[in-house]
Amino acid sequence: MSAPRVLLVTGTSRGIGLGLARHYLAKGDLVCGCSRAPAALQDDGYTHFELDVSDESAVVAMVRAVVHRHGRIDVLLNNAGIASMNHALLSTAATARAIFSTNFHGTFLFCREVAKTMVRHKAGRIVNFATVATPLRLEGESLYAASKAAVESFTQVLARELGPTGVTVNAVGPTPVPTDLIKSVPKAKMDALLARQAIQRFGAIEDVINVIDFFLSPQSGFITGQVVYLGGVNG
Amino acid sequence: MSTPTQISAEKVRQLVISTLPPSAANLAGEVIFGPGGALDSLALVNFLADLEYRLAEEFGREVVLASEQAMSRSRSPFRDVPALTDYVVELLAQ
Repeated sequence: MSAPRVLLVTGTSRGIGLGLARHYLAKGDLVCGCSRAPAALQDDGYTHFELDVSDESAVVAMVRAVVHRHGRIDVLLNNAGIASMNHALLSTAATARAIFSTNFHGTFLFCREVAKTMVRHKAGRIVNFATVATPLRLEGESLYAASKAAVESFTQVLARELGPTGVTVNAVGPTPVPTDLIKSVPKAKMDALLARQAIQRFGAIEDVINVIDFFLSPQSGFITGQVVYLGGVNG
Repeated sequence: MSTPTQISAEKVRQLVISTLPPSAANLAGEVIFGPGGALDSLALVNFLADLEYRLAEEFGREVVLASEQAMSRSRSPFRDVPALTDYVVELLAQ
């Protein structure tokens, strides 16, 4: 019987991150999660870290603690993210900084620290989170879409930098999934967004998991630098 | 495990040298990274990652070698063993 996989999942207090943690725990994996809030689940295979993903020293300490405890990290799912829906001309500099801190800097810091241990083991899978808001150029989501565009570019360049190491780096771009992230978006806006998808419905956590499982599959070692959007949206 | 006041430059130097990949292990005074260096950028990444973990094991300190301090210097602290040793001692003493 092989050893369970060790996953690090960010943003596990709610929404997609919590769903991912539950899914992989149910599969017998060990999950180390983090969020600014206390743990939202109790499981023998789950370890929670309370931190801000843009806090460099906290990220370094968490990654080293996970490696110290489990010896390695097989999978990094950079799910933590925040959104702010507003016209660009009505957005504040503080909002821009907060969105880029969590969405881009958080993703960068976890990629950097986890990749160090993956490179040492010459194996690992990193999945970052993009969004259909970027290719759809969604009005009212300029800061969110721009922060995720940065994540996409980072994913593609990092994939090339880590190409020779056995570590793959990909991204999944969900459509709106009914979580807290979009609860404040007006229904008319959401309907207009869904109308631009080839398949016009909300995404489900299972749709996101399906793409991630593809990236994590042992047969996907030749898949890297890819951004897969759900719902029939094209980049 | 050593405390910061007990950090020996010679101990750090030996750790740096023993962490270098076999192809570069005899580089005690030579260029590690940069023009004419023994390591390319990917090898440097591997080396620094290994060194961070070994420093944590040896000294109980979590350091990030590719820090603002390192990158903002006019002379890279990664260029050779003496420079890297001095830089690590400086980091561990903070």
